[in-house]
Amino acid sequence: MVTVNPRFAEKLKKFGAKTSTECFNCGTCTAVCPLVEEENLFPRKMIRYIQLGAEEKVKHSVEPWLCYYCGECQQYCPRQANPGELMMALRRYLTSVYDWTGLSRKLYTSKAWEVLSIIVLFFATLGVVALLHGPIVTTHTELETFAPRHIVDPAGWLFGGVLSIILLINIYRMYRLVMTSGEQVKIPWSLYVKEIFTLALHFFTQRRFLDCKSRRTNRWLKHWLLMTGYAVAFILVNALSKWFLTNEFLSVFHPARLLGYYATIAMLYVTTDAIIGRLRKVEPVHQYSHSTDWMFLILLWLTVFTGLLVHVFKYLDLPLPTYYTFALHLAFTVPLLGLEVPFTKWSHLAYRPFALYFMRLKESALQARARRPQTGVTASEIGG
Amino acid sequence: MGVYICTGCDIGESLDLEALSKVAASEYKVPVCKTHPFLCSAEGAGLIKQDIAGEGVNAIVIAACSPRVNTDVFDFPDVFVERVNLREQVVWCHPANDEDTQMLAEDSLRMGIVKAQQAELPVPFQAEDISKTILVVGGGLAGLTAAAETAKAGYRAVLVEKKETLGGWAAGLKNVVGLQPPYTELEDLNLADRVREVEENEKITVYKNAQIEKIAGAPGMFDVQIRQNDNLYSERVGAIVLAAGAVAYDATKLENLGFGKYTNVITGEQLEEMAGQGAIKRPSDGKPVESVAFILCAGSRDKEHLPYCSAICCTESLKQALYVKQQNPEASVYIFYKDMRATGNYEFLYQRVQKEGALFFRGDVLGVAEVADGQLVIAAEDVLVGEGIKTEPVDLVVLATGMVPVTAIGEKLVIKAEDDKGAQEEAPADEIIRSNILNLEYRQGPEVPPLKYGFADSHFICFPYETRRTGIYAAGSVRAPMDIPATIRDATGAALKAIQCVELTAAGSAVHPRVWDLSFPEFFMQRCTQCKRCTVECPFGAINEDEKFNPLPNPTRCRRCGTCMGSCPERIISFKNYSVPIIGSMLKAIEVPEEDEEKPRILVFACENDAYPALDMAGLNRLSISPWVRVIPVRCLGSMNLVWIADALSKGIDGILLLGCKHGDDYQCHFIKGSELANYRLSKISETLNRLALEADRVRMVQVSIMDYDKLPGIIEEFAGRLEEVGPNPYKGF
Repeated sequence: MVTVNPRFAEKLKKFGAKTSTECFNCGTCTAVCPLVEEENLFPRKMIRYIQLGAEEKVKHSVEPWLCYYCGECQQYCPRQANPGELMMALRRYLTSVYDWTGLSRKLYTSKAWEVLSIIVLFFATLGVVALLHGPIVTTHTELETFAPRHIVDPAGWLFGGVLSIILLINIYRMYRLVMTSGEQVKIPWSLYVKEIFTLALHFFTQRRFLDCKSRRTNRWLKHWLLMTGYAVAFILVNALSKWFLTNEFLSVFHPARLLGYYATIAMLYVTTDAIIGRLRKVEPVHQYSHSTDWMFLILLWLTVFTGLLVHVFKYLDLPLPTYYTFALHLAFTVPLLGLEVPFTKWSHLAYRPFALYFMRLKESALQARARRPQTGVTASEIGG
Repeated sequence: MGVYICTGCDIGESLDLEALSKVAASEYKVPVCKTHPFLCSAEGAGLIKQDIAGEGVNAIVIAACSPRVNTDVFDFPDVFVERVNLREQVVWCHPANDEDTQMLAEDSLRMGIVKAQQAELPVPFQAEDISKTILVVGGGLAGLTAAAETAKAGYRAVLVEKKETLGGWAAGLKNVVGLQPPYTELEDLNLADRVREVEENEKITVYKNAQIEKIAGAPGMFDVQIRQNDNLYSERVGAIVLAAGAVAYDATKLENLGFGKYTNVITGEQLEEMAGQGAIKRPSDGKPVESVAFILCAGSRDKEHLPYCSAICCTESLKQALYVKQQNPEASVYIFYKDMRATGNYEFLYQRVQKEGALFFRGDVLGVAEVADGQLVIAAEDVLVGEGIKTEPVDLVVLATGMVPVTAIGEKLVIKAEDDKGAQEEAPADEIIRSNILNLEYRQGPEVPPLKYGFADSHFICFPYETRRTGIYAAGSVRAPMDIPATIRDATGAALKAIQCVELTAAGSAVHPRVWDLSFPEFFMQRCTQCKRCTVECPFGAINEDEKFNPLPNPTRCRRCGTCMGSCPERIISFKNYSVPIIGSMLKAIEVPEEDEEKPRILVFACENDAYPALDMAGLNRLSISPWVRVIPVRCLGSMNLVWIADALSKGIDGILLLGCKHGDDYQCHFIKGSELANYRLSKISETLNRLALEADRVRMVQVSIMDYDKLPGIIEEFAGRLEEVGPNPYKGF
């Protein structure tokens, strides 16, 4: 028996769920959703949970991660209850639930926390650069001298390591919540290995995006460009920093430069497009923007843009602009990664594929159990 | 007499007109018999008019199209006109130039001629001392509207209200939902203006604190006795608008929802009153409420209580939820519903209440329980998540109870034949509830018979505002559950129906559905055996009885269906143009071929209201119908007298098919009980048929609606097939 809690909907408003009471539960959203399967009915069910204030049920739900926000439901909703945006808000809420540090909730529910966190990390990064940077060569551009790899690399690894640990803990918390809802089933270890393909597939392709009916190829492609652009940049910056963070001037056809251009163009194009989209508010997915959506887009855009400037200044051999923009680039990168990856929007890179992975685990285990003969009933009992 | 055969519309090409004319001219010696290629033209009608003037023709048989068309063309004053349907029912649904088609056309003409020979032109009934005043019973919104509309139309109205003030239930409303865009605002009903308009109107006499002691008489001449305090007043009125309203369902029966058990469980009416007086407070301690739960359908749509929807409780509760939110925007409002029936523009209200944050729960309420401090917890089944839910403790629970028409309250009477002769078996009788509203001096009971659940309705789609007592028109929530705008519309409609009634009555005409009909039943009293069949079976309670059980007809109450004529075993009830002997002669005019000719005959009695038009539609669609049928239209199957069946069978007709309207709960009979009574009478004759060594299968009744026209050929064919199995009528040739 669920005890109705009217304050839950109130609480979710800060996460962007502003229209839950407008829904009259007709279920049009669920009917038109191209991603709904018989076992996983949404968005209506989730909206009803919001209305009832069934917080525990929401916490254990995996459905919000199954929605890719094509906005079909939003266009058909007879009550303008914006089911897609409510699902988005639930993803924000769940992100805050999974996060054990509590920072996520603060970032989502308080603009002051959000802005202050960015400012603090921004200036802290500039401070660290000011303290630890190498000699400043002004005769011509020597980026590696300014930012010695023996300092940048370990700092990067440390930063990444901390973020990864936080995110992994969050994923484990998600696992506990998701797996303890609905029918309980024991999952054999072999299954975890067997289904790892599901995880990888969805992590790298986001192919469910293609099932979203409206403008599917377009949105999937943009999203995939952004994802691959980021992945390439990540690898370049971390694993191949000797190519990237170097005093040498590489030839135009050097793979590092080509890959770097790809990553820059992809990310700059997609973020610029998304910013314009959110300003125009034509597409359902762009109609409602939470402050964290803006924070993500702006930080990412500035990071990429400053990265591009560093590159341009370096190859124009303008030493001081190169160093300053590099410092700025780091000052944008740190809050972007530090706040987005484990605590807010960017964490979906993990939660979405893991949601599908956990769901698949459970389904397979349940199917296997259904195929097994019932224990406790002997053949003679059946025969007799 | 004159017979006019039209040869247009395929008739001329399909039939042997010479032979047809011979039927009239030689067989029946009709002095004037003419054919015309286009009888409904000005020239054709002119031909007839010439003969009326020149030849003194005063009974006309027009053998052409269906009697349902061209009625204006073939309308000649002071001349009896009989129409023979050669077009729709002969040439359009039978093969051209065929022997059987020709025989059908000739038989049709014979029947028409015989009818024209025997029928007389009706003389309208002229009641004496006719009143055109309208009595309005009930001074609520419906009654006020009906009286005001009556006066606006220029008629006098008499309004009787049992309470001391006018206004009724609506007077207790704090606000009503706005009827103008955006449809979400709460407005004042301005009932006081309506009351003043009625009270100050010189065309309206208002009796407050008054009740109707008795109503005697009939439309145009109702004598009403009104008791006001200790005085008795008499009014003569022409028609009555019954607008006595409804009351809320008795909440003390809802103990399962905590009413009567917990102080803080109240009804919607109580909340309305509290809101009207100021703040909404908890009855237990007078604290302003911070959380309220509304339980909709409290005792409604529930087999244990009221099985129906009362139409207004959803929107009333939504409105009251806004009262709560107006008082305290932070207050929690819970609304438990079965279906949210906020129809039409009330949808905007529903949306507003949602926007203001009320929580809605669809499903059955499982129970209400008191926790500490008089607060209550409601447990319910939420169908949307398929789980039980319960609320946090709330300050107040409001039950939206449904409406019970006042006509449903009272002792239930079944008016029986009280037949001391005991020989006649009883026809199904109506239940009347002694609700002490109209106190009619009618043989069939003092109030109007209810349709369903005690509501004073008949069949709204076919007979808007009508009750089953002619001249009494129901409006507002006594007729059906309805909201304020619907009540205003309803009352206006009923007032206009009442005015129609007094005007038609004054002209000696029937009211709807036979408004053109000037005939009325006449009783040949010398042969009456006081069997009471007619007084019991009349669906409209038109016939009273004297102390010796002689029928006392009230022609202005009569709707001219002829059910009394069908019921009378002595056949003493006749209309000038419709009687047992007329129809009997018509069926006797059918030529029945010898057995060895293998041409069976099926007599079809088709109800004029649906079955006969359906046969026309079959013709219009060129469907092929068995050539053995001979159709006689009847006003209603209720007017079918069993002697016709005996006559037809003894003439050698092989089978009789009765086509009438659907009866039972969702009846479509235009005279409510006619087809049911025909069915009942039929059940009584199978025994007789068996005794005469005739198979009961020879008589069949089928219920058809006008939309069943495409099924008619099949129905007839199937019956013909059955008759073939039974074999020819052994009485052929006798």
